[in-house]
Amino acid sequence: MTTDLFEIAQAMRVAGLGDRFAARALHVAQEYRGVAELMQLWVESEDDPAERDETVADLQELLDDIGNPVVRQKERWVRFDDLDRVAADIMAFKDALRIEVEKRSSLTELAEKTGMPLPSLSRFFSQPSMPRRATLLKIADALELTAVTVESEWAH
Amino acid sequence: MEIIITQWALDSYLNLRHSNVFDAQYYWGTLRPDVMLLKNHPGDPKFQNDKFWGPAKTRSALVPNGFKMKWRQVGNGKVQLRLPVLLLSGDAYLCEAYVKSSEKVDRRKMAKFDGHAQLIRQGNFIERGRLT
Repeated sequence: MTTDLFEIAQAMRVAGLGDRFAARALHVAQEYRGVAELMQLWVESEDDPAERDETVADLQELLDDIGNPVVRQKERWVRFDDLDRVAADIMAFKDALRIEVEKRSSLTELAEKTGMPLPSLSRFFSQPSMPRRATLLKIADALELTAVTVESEWAH
Repeated sequence: MEIIITQWALDSYLNLRHSNVFDAQYYWGTLRPDVMLLKNHPGDPKFQNDKFWGPAKTRSALVPNGFKMKWRQVGNGKVQLRLPVLLLSGDAYLCEAYVKSSEKVDRRKMAKFDGHAQLIRQGNFIERGRLT
């Protein structure tokens, strides 16, 4: 049985995921079946909080990809042998940024200010995936950080 | 067939290596040679083996031109690894690899892949390299 997407968006608001997130998901789901399915899976994972958090994080990432489209963009290619160093650089950058966040605020407060759900921010800071510039700018705007603080050579 | 590494594939590689899902030896010995078979898709008999290669399905539908490459007993954690691949206009686009720890995870990642496949078809993706 599927739940109406509008009802799911309402449930997301009630669950504290934020008005902007829920409204954006509802809007994009009209055009992207993957987003609609992730919303359905969020409803169905009510009894599994960890899976529900992962669903929110995946949904946010997909919404970011859809909301910041690139036109077959070629970024700098990275040599395979450099990937371990790249991952270490990115984690060092994210660790430093997290310290700046915690000096000024908390992840929970950052989630409220940026409109990004907490599970999404938690994943952002714990994994060495290359950061999106849009995410870094949201964090910078929310905490009034300088451009230098959110500058990463691996941002895309 | 060109094998295109998207940003999603590269990010998932970084995340999986960070989590020690597999090591460099497994990558060079198993994963990379298997992915390189895409160069000659569908010529290699492994593409007839549904334990290695199969269609990508969301809960409600097939992902058009979407497939999954599958590995079992990966790394010390003996996990199942999946790599979604979109075949389009003679090219193979590698997308977000993941550990299939449950059916729920598989459904979630297939839904996400459906979105990535749609973005690739629209030309909205980042290319991070090619496997050669």
